[in-house]
Amino acid sequence: MTEESGMKENIVCPFCGCLCDDIALNIESNKITENKNGCSISQAKFLNHRDDRLEMDAPLEVLVKKAAEIIIKSKRLLVYGLSSTENDAHREAYKIAEEAGGVVDNTSSVCHGPTILGAQESGEPIAALAEARHRADFIIYWGSNPQFAHPRHMSRYTRADGFYIKDGKKDRQIWVVDVRKTISAGVADKFIKINPGCDLEVISALRAIARGKILEVDEVGGLPISELSDMIEAMKNAKYGVLFFGLGLTQSKGRHRNIDAAIRLIQDMNHFTKWSMMPMRGHYNVAGANKTSTWQTGYPYAVDYARGYPRYQPGEYTAVDMLVRGEADAVLNIAADPAAHFPKEAVKHLASIPVINIDPKRNMTSLLAKVNIQTAIAGIESDGAATRMDGLPLYLKKVVDPPEGVLPDRDVLRMIYNEVRRLKK
Amino acid sequence: MSRVGVEAILTSGRTLKQGRAMELGKLGPEYLKEVSFCEMDKITLKALGLEEGDPVLVETLYGSVVVESKLDRRAEPGVVFIPCGPYANAVIGSDTEETGMPDFKGVPAKLFAAKGESVLGVKDLLKKMVEGA
Amino acid sequence: MSKQTILTNGRVYDPMNGIDGEIKDICISDGKIVERVEGPAKKIDLKGRLVMAGGVDMHSHIVGSKVGVGRAMCPEDHRKDPVPKTKSTRAGVGYTMPNSYVIGYRYSAMGYTTVIEPALPALKALGSWEEMEDLHNLDSGLLPMFCNSMITFHYVREGDLSGLAAYIAWVLQKVGGLGVKVVNPGGTYAWAHGVDLRDPDGEVPGWGITPRDITRSLCQAVESLGLPHMMHYHPNNLGRVGNIETTIKQLDSVRDIKGFRGRKHVMHLTHMSFETLANVEGAGTEWKDIASGGLEFAKYFNKNKHFTADLGQITFGPATTMTGDGPFEFYLYQLTGGKWTNIAVDVELPGGAGIVPYTYSPKAAGNSVQWTIPLEFALNVDDVWRCIMSTDHPNAGPFTKYPLVISWLMSKKQREIWMEDMHKFAHERSTLPTIDREWNLYEIAISTRAAPAKILGIDSTKGHLGVGADADIAVYDADPTKVDFAKDPERIIKTFSTSYLTFLRGQQVSKKGVVKGTEERKVWSLHPELNESLWERINKELEGLMNDWYSHSFHNYPVPERYRSHLEQKIPVDSTSIPA
Repeated sequence: MTEESGMKENIVCPFCGCLCDDIALNIESNKITENKNGCSISQAKFLNHRDDRLEMDAPLEVLVKKAAEIIIKSKRLLVYGLSSTENDAHREAYKIAEEAGGVVDNTSSVCHGPTILGAQESGEPIAALAEARHRADFIIYWGSNPQFAHPRHMSRYTRADGFYIKDGKKDRQIWVVDVRKTISAGVADKFIKINPGCDLEVISALRAIARGKILEVDEVGGLPISELSDMIEAMKNAKYGVLFFGLGLTQSKGRHRNIDAAIRLIQDMNHFTKWSMMPMRGHYNVAGANKTSTWQTGYPYAVDYARGYPRYQPGEYTAVDMLVRGEADAVLNIAADPAAHFPKEAVKHLASIPVINIDPKRNMTSLLAKVNIQTAIAGIESDGAATRMDGLPLYLKKVVDPPEGVLPDRDVLRMIYNEVRRLKK
Repeated sequence: MSRVGVEAILTSGRTLKQGRAMELGKLGPEYLKEVSFCEMDKITLKALGLEEGDPVLVETLYGSVVVESKLDRRAEPGVVFIPCGPYANAVIGSDTEETGMPDFKGVPAKLFAAKGESVLGVKDLLKKMVEGA
Repeated sequence: MSKQTILTNGRVYDPMNGIDGEIKDICISDGKIVERVEGPAKKIDLKGRLVMAGGVDMHSHIVGSKVGVGRAMCPEDHRKDPVPKTKSTRAGVGYTMPNSYVIGYRYSAMGYTTVIEPALPALKALGSWEEMEDLHNLDSGLLPMFCNSMITFHYVREGDLSGLAAYIAWVLQKVGGLGVKVVNPGGTYAWAHGVDLRDPDGEVPGWGITPRDITRSLCQAVESLGLPHMMHYHPNNLGRVGNIETTIKQLDSVRDIKGFRGRKHVMHLTHMSFETLANVEGAGTEWKDIASGGLEFAKYFNKNKHFTADLGQITFGPATTMTGDGPFEFYLYQLTGGKWTNIAVDVELPGGAGIVPYTYSPKAAGNSVQWTIPLEFALNVDDVWRCIMSTDHPNAGPFTKYPLVISWLMSKKQREIWMEDMHKFAHERSTLPTIDREWNLYEIAISTRAAPAKILGIDSTKGHLGVGADADIAVYDADPTKVDFAKDPERIIKTFSTSYLTFLRGQQVSKKGVVKGTEERKVWSLHPELNESLWERINKELEGLMNDWYSHSFHNYPVPERYRSHLEQKIPVDSTSIPA
């Protein structure tokens, strides 16, 4: 039973990979009336948590049964989503995939999956957020627009004062590398514009220059060699540099090769000074989805259980590919909106197969789903654990009760799993 | 009939307002407003003969979509931006080149003035995508 | 199902109770070993088979952030080793970094019942507790790291031992830790400043303290708290030719520290194979100059009895090195040129943990000498109670190769077979070829069961088969009176690879390799109670320091009971005598 009224502090915000845990909420009669410290997206999430809920057209038990029947009848179940719900829900999802011999993928396949692929090639020197705040005298945001996607990233971590960097504005340089001048580029100390689709060449050129090679061209990716050399000089002169990189690197031409090149560049820089890097994880628990998937199955995403044990192959068991190839014949979608975020071909196939949609709110996928089950919002209406972009696990508290009769994702998934087992007998 | 068009690379991504609108409701009017526009520089806008807010047709190898035109004062010709969401996804390809990741950023596009055309609502856009044109 | 079992006709090796190969009945009731059983009981006739307590592994990397990152970055490690699900076990993968389920099942199939995770960054403990949820069939525990933490440095610099002890007690309580782990004290921190600090008397940049200061202070704090497990130690300068010198220096540096209530051992030196590399007399410290320091270290060990050690035996073949020794991993990466990951951790491990996949080859000069070191050492020690078998899984080799290690310890013939195809340095740079000693079953039972339980401080219920112990039992399919293990090393491997029966807390969890998954197990932790004023003081001070230095709140640091209470077995420790 949750406290009905009062102030709750040190609440973790379940929106983006920053996982800010200094949110202070005013609760009155089980309603959140104020959100102190949260960015505008956090405000929207907490204050409007009761709005726009997913409608269920039958009692929960009936919907659970329907969902289980869809799973039983399917030959190739795709379980997808997970990044906007807490870890215990993930664990139930893998159980269902294992039981059904299906595939379980999470949203990293369309987000930082290429980062994982890059790390699988070369490893990764991973940064930590407090360490960046204390020590970094040089920060680069590459293909990332934190002011829009991670609104407090700069104020909480990279522009904030630290133990060694006493003045986050004067003692630290922030550069932005992007194909267009974003709002983050506008507040940075320097903006470097590169041509779209040229990240791989630019990073490779930087690497070559860092190793003392002479390049026999005038410019790479729209940047003159002199500017690239200046960048390497600045990187070498830094005492502690951190490269934050986003979907500009993972989603444009080259994909995982871009990340691999960036990893190798940062590894090389460690021969001269200290450099590390961090992917700007979008959803608040996509890093958690990779973590839970890894300790449960051995692999971070794109996992297939058809042979009774986990197999891994991006491109084969990733959600977009499974849908575009028409291979998935049923989808269990948890806390995600593929209808809004997948390319047209994938959405077309999604619309032609039975979809079980588990979410607190309505979204485009709910328009296509055969079974819609409303669940409690993790971090607001149910507790759980999530993982920050730098790997720090944080406990999400339950601050208010969910709407009457609405359960957390993990409970609903457990019910579906039990019903699947019962039907199989 | 001749059509004056502008070639550009289409990229997509998050915006603060799109993030906020998602939390307010994905089937609501704020969300529609925040994902159904295409941001471009003022030279491109002028070349197309558009006033900011006029509808623009964005065409790629994979499809076309009508969205609202928007001015980005910081932008330079060559790159245009549609926030991530169903309107951007209507015109990007689904080949992931075996990586799992489609081409969300960096699709060659052609922009044309689309005065008189209307921007589809989210539900209608979904219907169109699903029924396939 | 009967909660009472009697195992009859087993040949028992129970060193803690002085039993050396006697035929003895073992009575189990309600998860414990009892004198006798009243009422109905399941009787199992072991027909002379070998019986030991369930294996106790005090140093194996099984949960946590670096294990997870390692798994994720090396899918090739798993692909050839799939493990299908069964009616009572979940699916998974191996090989050097299996998923959580398979780790539990494979240890269980080998007759192990307690495995301790030796290196936890305390602020990430919640994640480890979540993973513990899925580590079935094993009792476990976590050792948080303290020696590269800015908060530790703060107290060491102030000379404030009470504060340091209180900080340790606070962390152990709040995250459910079982002891104090030290990894490259000051060295990993220094690397965040670009300094590779390998000299125990070198300065930690910006703090004015040395690894020696940190080592001594932590040792004193642990002893003053009276923690059952002494400081668990990975020294500076790991993995470098000639480092036996610095290792001995660091061991000497705590020789004078008084153990709690006069106890003799104040340090546990872990994976000694990486820390006792000597060099050829008069030569330099390059890899070509490497020689085994095993014998030299055994002599030091026999003379200086204030510490215990585990082997970190190289098993050859694929391994994954993963340690909180970031600079060492960077060094290894430069040697291999392959994959390298570093994971910086807020405040507690700024230089970061490192991961580098590595394959040990018997044809490689360095690896072959590294292989001889722990064997040379173990076969020269006087007191096996201080010498623990381990491979620092997965650093020197996967835990599934423990039977191979046992075969090297027990059989000179096996050592000779392996040395035949080895690089000549194994013969030239070590005395191993001349050693005839072979460990017997009693010594194996000491080194893999009784001694680790004692060193960890959980020996009232673990590591032995006396009345009152948890019924953690391993039965192996061999009659010791009918087998000459030393002459038949393949039999050693076969015997110890798969138990005939494994019991965990009285429940039969494995038979001839077929595992039954169980969640009935516990995670051991310490609850050191401080006096009220010190407790008040440390909470106030840590709130200030943590809110200043971390990027998350002091109030969100502790692991919530909801993730712990159903699993945790707290050992109360009375540390109230420490002054505020």
